[in-house]
Amino acid sequence: MEARRVVVDPMTRIEGHLRFETRMEDGIVVDSKCSGDMYRGIEKALIGYDARTAQQITQRVCGVCPYAHADAAARALESAMGLQINENGRLLRNLTVGAYHLYDYLLHFYALCALDFIDVTAITSYQGRDAGMLQLKDWIGQELNSGKVFPASPFLPRYQAAYSDDRELNLTVIQNYLGALPMMSTLHKMVAIFGAKAPHPVAIEAGGVTTMPTIERLARYRQWLGQAGQFIRNNFQNDVLGVAKAFPGYFKEGRGYGNLLSYPWLIDRNGKDHSFTGGATINGQYAALDIGKITEDHTYAYYTAKPDKTIKPLQLNNLHPLGYEEYLSEKKKEGGKYTWTRAPRYGNEIMEVGPVARVVNTYFAKSNPALTQRVDKYNNALGLTIHDYNSVMGRHLSRLVSALVTLEKLEEQLEQVVPEESGFIERSLPRNASGVGLTEATRGALAHWIETDDKGLIKNYEMIVPTTWNMSPRDASGRPGAVEKMLIGTRVADADNPMELARIIRSTDPCMACSVH
Amino acid sequence: MNRREALKTIWLAIVAAGASSFLSFEDLLAADANPDKRINLVWLHASSCSGCSCSFLNIEDVSVLDILTKFANLIFHPDLSLATGDQVTEILDKVSASGMPYLFVLEGGIPTAMPHACLMADQPITYWVEKLGSKAIASVGIGTCAVFGGVTNMKGMETGSIPLDAFYARKGITQAVINLPNCPLKPEHLVYTLLHYAYKGSFPSTDSKGRPLKFFDRTVHEHCIFYADFQEKHYARYIGDAGCLLKLGCQGPLTRNDCLIIGHNGNTNICIRAGHPCIGCASEHFPRRVMFHIASDPQGVSEDS
Ligand code: SF4
Ligand code: SF4
Repeated sequence: MEARRVVVDPMTRIEGHLRFETRMEDGIVVDSKCSGDMYRGIEKALIGYDARTAQQITQRVCGVCPYAHADAAARALESAMGLQINENGRLLRNLTVGAYHLYDYLLHFYALCALDFIDVTAITSYQGRDAGMLQLKDWIGQELNSGKVFPASPFLPRYQAAYSDDRELNLTVIQNYLGALPMMSTLHKMVAIFGAKAPHPVAIEAGGVTTMPTIERLARYRQWLGQAGQFIRNNFQNDVLGVAKAFPGYFKEGRGYGNLLSYPWLIDRNGKDHSFTGGATINGQYAALDIGKITEDHTYAYYTAKPDKTIKPLQLNNLHPLGYEEYLSEKKKEGGKYTWTRAPRYGNEIMEVGPVARVVNTYFAKSNPALTQRVDKYNNALGLTIHDYNSVMGRHLSRLVSALVTLEKLEEQLEQVVPEESGFIERSLPRNASGVGLTEATRGALAHWIETDDKGLIKNYEMIVPTTWNMSPRDASGRPGAVEKMLIGTRVADADNPMELARIIRSTDPCMACSVH
Repeated sequence: MNRREALKTIWLAIVAAGASSFLSFEDLLAADANPDKRINLVWLHASSCSGCSCSFLNIEDVSVLDILTKFANLIFHPDLSLATGDQVTEILDKVSASGMPYLFVLEGGIPTAMPHACLMADQPITYWVEKLGSKAIASVGIGTCAVFGGVTNMKGMETGSIPLDAFYARKGITQAVINLPNCPLKPEHLVYTLLHYAYKGSFPSTDSKGRPLKFFDRTVHEHCIFYADFQEKHYARYIGDAGCLLKLGCQGPLTRNDCLIIGHNGNTNICIRAGHPCIGCASEHFPRRVMFHIASDPQGVSEDS
């Protein structure tokens, strides 16, 4: 039996600092470890800050999904205040975070993932007249002939692997890769209309959204939403389906445990129903959400703690980051700690969060006919069942489903905003109070917990974020985390170019700065 | 569309970006014909959130494609490069050993008290910043984290994060550093700075903190739409109220930036226009323990500053 250790570090085209390591036997992964390699310590630092700063500071946890932290922090504080925001506030927040979701789906598919499947060198055979494509073609041609040390960077070097050999598909996706960049900046502008700026929208506060929805702002949003809608319904949909058809085997790869957790997201204007129902599917059984089941374990994370390994949200003050010497000695130990990411568990289960969880839980809950119809339609067209969503391609397809469902909701809710009426309610800071805020980032379930002191300053703060679930290390029981499990069992054709593993990891859209914060 | 016409559209964008003062249309034609003139860039993430990278992709005046194919060779970028794993360390080792001229762009703060708090390829980021920074012709600190520490050294942090220029001072690295604070970076600031370097061989002139005067010579307050209200002492008491936002905690007077001239996202909006006080995201004091408060919670704006 041939055994081999494969290390990929740094993992690029994700957010943040990720290292992963696998052990292969006869070309099949038998063991894996994922390390979150950056720690800032924002939760602890927040102690003593005014409670309203949490919204502004926690979104700096991540510049890819800051909107979700803004939303969760505002909700946590609203829950501590006992405040229900008004109709306009709800709608404006949806329009802001919803547009950000759409941005994020395009960023993930085009900028981060597509070129793992699509052959970018196909551009050299381009015959059409699109100016951007011609510019790229000329440039790549020149670069390849230039004798430079780094020709055609950042597109080369890349892993040698079986990319798509469908010339049409390659060219269309490359063209849309170029088209997605301006579309993403349009979507960021939509965020900025009510959020003030993107990344890091400042205007989402506990109480609603500070921006006045003027007729002019609503009109601009409508115009840009129209453009984004076109791109998503045509280009994005076709490209995701095109890649899915070209790589059907990836509906079987990267399956993991298949236990799925999601939080309710995209609230209705009546404040009751959500486009995506929260819940947990464990061993194929869907059940309603119970956030009391959440704990965190840090057996393999670089922290020391007394008294025990498993803690509940807001018990974080017990944790201390390892000093450099302790860290070095853990690194030397066989089976020592190996990541800054903690290991959250739901009723002791290891959960995957993200678009699949959002789509599958909502599908099982039968709560959104529009979503159910879409899923059924794709399943017919691609010969899938709902169980195939737990896979690399299922994750990409679920992002498409999420994008289309979100898009429709935004179109509907835009028309419900009452122009020139404030979406913000003022409240004083809650003293000696606590609250929790739940939302979905594009990459999955996000929760913030807050506790304030008698002055309204932060006494305790905790974030359990999507990538903390997915990139979780082992826990005291020794079971690998969600993504670690996805890698195990994968056959890798060429260990020097482990594209299969990169595709699995990127399909989960890791956000490492979030995961450790 | 022939080459000259294609370049004309880029030229208009350059005019809009304010860079036509140092870059003529002839320079542009010449650059297009001579790939060797393009400026090499190596971009790293220290302790960052990638927000500055995402913001860079929003650039509209000159498209990302134009930047990549006409003005710059993006030798490495953690979010855009196809290179993965060992390929990355090979590129970075090669580039630092090659003697080729390149600009080093750093996003994020540098944890020095806890070197293990930010790693790449199993080496502390301090190793990479020193290795790549010391060989660069010049460096650009982007975003408030790289320039002033930002959230990475907010009060209460344990990692001992420091900005790029402070790190260089500690290591005895003496090359020029230009600082582009804002959380996140404004892409216009970076593109202007890069074009300036590419065509003049130097950075635009800066203040004592290394910030380009063109963008940072005035405070947010000095350009504010509510400046007249401020002079007349018309203060807003709550969000949505008319008047100057100072009493709600606005950091505009303490923050040098051009937000009310070029806002964010192609000037679509900016904090103050969105009815929100400036939280001072480009300032050396960001983030403060109180950044915004309402009339019923008068915690005061003075704090440490
Ligand atoms: S300056 Fe702001 S946007 Fe840039 S890396 Fe730091 S936190 Fe992120
Ligand atoms: S107005 Fe203030 S907080 Fe807003 S972007 Fe400008 S400097 Fe940053």
